[in-house]
Amino acid sequence: MAKSKTSEPAVKVKTTWKNAFKRDWQLYLLLLIPLALVFLFSYAAYPGLRMVFMNYKPAKGYAGSEWVGLDIFRKIFKDADFLRALRNSLVFNFLDLIVGTPIPILLALLLNELRYPKFKKVSQTILYLPHFLSWAIIGSVAYQLFKPSSGLINILIMNMGGESVPFITEKWHWAVTYLLVGVWQTMGWGTIMYLAGITSISGELYEAAMIDGAGRWKRMWHITLPGIKPTIITLLIINLGRVMNSNYERLAVFGNSQVRDFQYQLAIYIYEKGLGNLQFSMATAVGLFQSVIGVILVLLADKFAKMLGEEGLL
Amino acid sequence: MKKNILQKVLVFALTGAMAMGMLSGCGNSGADSSNTSDTQTTTDNAATDNSAATDNSAATDNNAADTATEPAADGAAGVEGYEAFADNVTLKVAVYDRGVEGVPTVDDNYWTKWVQENFGDKYNITVQYVPITRTDVMTDYALLAAADDLPTILMEYDYPKVAQWANDGYLTTYDLNEFAQVAPTYYQRMVDNNQIPYTEMGGETYFALALRPYYNTTYTYQNFVRMDWLREVGYEEVPKTYDDMVDALTKIKEAGLCEYPGSPIVTNKMVAVGADTQNYPFRTYPLNEEEWVMYGDYNVVPMNWEPTKKYLQAANELYNLGITNPEYYITDDETWKADFINGKAFNYSQYISANMDFLNSFYENNPDAELAIVPADAEYGGSYGYRTDNPFGMIICFSSSATEDELKAAWMYMEWMTQEENLFTMQWGIEGENYTVENGLPVSVADYSGDYTQGFNNSKDYWCVTIESRNAGTIEEIIAATTPTGLPQDFTQDVIDFYNKRLEISTTDYACTDAIFAVALESVSEYSGTLASLWTEYYDTLTMCKPEEFEAKYEELSQKYLDAGFQEIADERLDAFNAGNTTKLQ
Repeated sequence: MAKSKTSEPAVKVKTTWKNAFKRDWQLYLLLLIPLALVFLFSYAAYPGLRMVFMNYKPAKGYAGSEWVGLDIFRKIFKDADFLRALRNSLVFNFLDLIVGTPIPILLALLLNELRYPKFKKVSQTILYLPHFLSWAIIGSVAYQLFKPSSGLINILIMNMGGESVPFITEKWHWAVTYLLVGVWQTMGWGTIMYLAGITSISGELYEAAMIDGAGRWKRMWHITLPGIKPTIITLLIINLGRVMNSNYERLAVFGNSQVRDFQYQLAIYIYEKGLGNLQFSMATAVGLFQSVIGVILVLLADKFAKMLGEEGLL
Repeated sequence: MKKNILQKVLVFALTGAMAMGMLSGCGNSGADSSNTSDTQTTTDNAATDNSAATDNSAATDNNAADTATEPAADGAAGVEGYEAFADNVTLKVAVYDRGVEGVPTVDDNYWTKWVQENFGDKYNITVQYVPITRTDVMTDYALLAAADDLPTILMEYDYPKVAQWANDGYLTTYDLNEFAQVAPTYYQRMVDNNQIPYTEMGGETYFALALRPYYNTTYTYQNFVRMDWLREVGYEEVPKTYDDMVDALTKIKEAGLCEYPGSPIVTNKMVAVGADTQNYPFRTYPLNEEEWVMYGDYNVVPMNWEPTKKYLQAANELYNLGITNPEYYITDDETWKADFINGKAFNYSQYISANMDFLNSFYENNPDAELAIVPADAEYGGSYGYRTDNPFGMIICFSSSATEDELKAAWMYMEWMTQEENLFTMQWGIEGENYTVENGLPVSVADYSGDYTQGFNNSKDYWCVTIESRNAGTIEEIIAATTPTGLPQDFTQDVIDFYNKRLEISTTDYACTDAIFAVALESVSEYSGTLASLWTEYYDTLTMCKPEEFEAKYEELSQKYLDAGFQEIADERLDAFNAGNTTKLQ
């Protein structure tokens, strides 16, 4: 597919900042709101980051707390629990990415092939719904379904003569359950972007292909997939930035003492060791570390995408 | 095209409204605006009250703040000597928000208004209650501290927590003599109950102590068991030893009365274990004092200590016998309570009060069932040792950012709440609504719900600033008033027996209190969180392992536990003990 390039305007119109403002001042005024929001919640909090170099105590505040240089980081990197949490976060988030990326694409392709519009809409809505459920609800439903002896699924298995499967109480089984429930929750919502991408593909391309005798599979492979390639890459880069993050709620609702080996990820580490022990400096330091690695990953992925001849994100 | 004026106006209005809406999100302008109106009304009322007070009182000194440092002109200390503040003072008081259904909003209800009208308005004080999430106390206070918005009165039951606050700069020190001047009743009571030594931390006065009547018997927490099942398997009373209890539970299971009865032997409830664990019945008495200092506390579990090992062994045996539900570690308290109500569990425990929902529901579902309470001399762990409470109730602390007037208002509030008539109304409510008088004693209306509904547990979270329980009459009468009413069974005599037995035990070595440290222990704040999560993990591993694997696993895990910080805690505690900074074993 040809790349769309922004063409230079034929006539250069000289617009000064003043004129532009005079003409569209209402729009600029409206823009102030999101700008202020972004500033307030994304940047205004930045000075608070200096607590990573302090032994921060809430009642003493920034002025009264003691500066400790890089001590906090040294302590974290020596902590075996941190290394365990880091390993788990990386492994599970990469797995999430690997399992979680292709499924919405497949689903979008399938949905796109549905011809009866009402059925398509209903299916889509049903697929979106899990996205709107909170993890607390998903977690308790999952427990009701997967408990080893009183869970619905295990009762069914046992009634059919099978043996109870420890879906959520043995760490390897837990890992699979955790990943699949995650995919189930996000896949419907993930299709939205791809479906939007598919809609923007020109219908003429499909017509031409049909005239040339391309079947359904061929059209999907040669037109639809290449058509949404930029979307796929953009979303992949964005998701790569999240590889260091983990969702505390998701981990907490699925947690129990028997799966701690895998469930112990950075979010849990921050909550238990940082906030639970009131070590705010430490919690912030781990948070900062996550963000920095996240940014580096995004930049690397972007560069890689550009090397492959894609547009990238930045 | 000419710009439409309406359009311009709309854009301005819309932008303005959104910007204001957004900015109002920062800071607590919502609360502030309501304060302003509050302040106005209180100032108005106080103005009239003020003149009335001046008329009535003999005090000639009009500046109330002075009474904080000097006795009133006529020497009247305490409530009689109080005068309204010249300028309105805001008094912020912490109150637990327990997230319980069926009780009014903790910071705005009939009773908070009642305090404002009867105390605040009189002395030109605006009383504000600051909700503190019961399950996340330390974080809530830390956030308030970070925002420089700590309530004037901070409260906690656990000494290590307030010690940490003192260490972290949350608290102000104060002068006991000044306190005695403003709150003489409160002060005298602390003296009479030997609480003064606990007011100090590192040689400075930080705390005031509320009273905990009958602290050494802890009779208010009761374990209810299925007596009808016990009878069916041949027991005419609740078994008191480990072997008998296990035998009874095994028979109950075999008879098909209950698949997984659970037991009151280790944890009271068969649910995921919490951070704290009470191994008191498993201890060998009398205790060695050094061991008691290092390991005697229940907040951080001493996993390597022999009593904990015995405790874990019992848990392991109960699990392997099939008495404990194999899903116990993914069961929560609500589920366990529901199981008990539905006749699928042997026991359930809770603090007793006049109206206990779970018992009402239990008898509705099981009209023919019979319950009994576990007697005080049951010795499932090998002894009937138990943890007596601290010899004080709430530990009252004052914010480091409190002004002199706020501090004085706080003391006035404590003294006012201690006055019999005020305390009585707060504890019992309004006659004919919340309680009736029978035989000269108040009796709470069991299922009252109306405009005067009290907070959780008869509004205890408000009056705990001075005392820990309601006390009308003799201990028998008190127990009668706090035992559930309107049920097919009456437990009053059982609880009285329990109390008497405990009273007997309380004079022996078997009544065990925890060491209290007069210094903040750094290692406790550093490691307690990590150790708490390790404990829940290890507890389950050791409970669910095969009996033959227990010994080896216990050795391995308790060593890991020591290395994860517990050794440091034990060492620091011992150092504090050797330096004379702890209470002694009594």
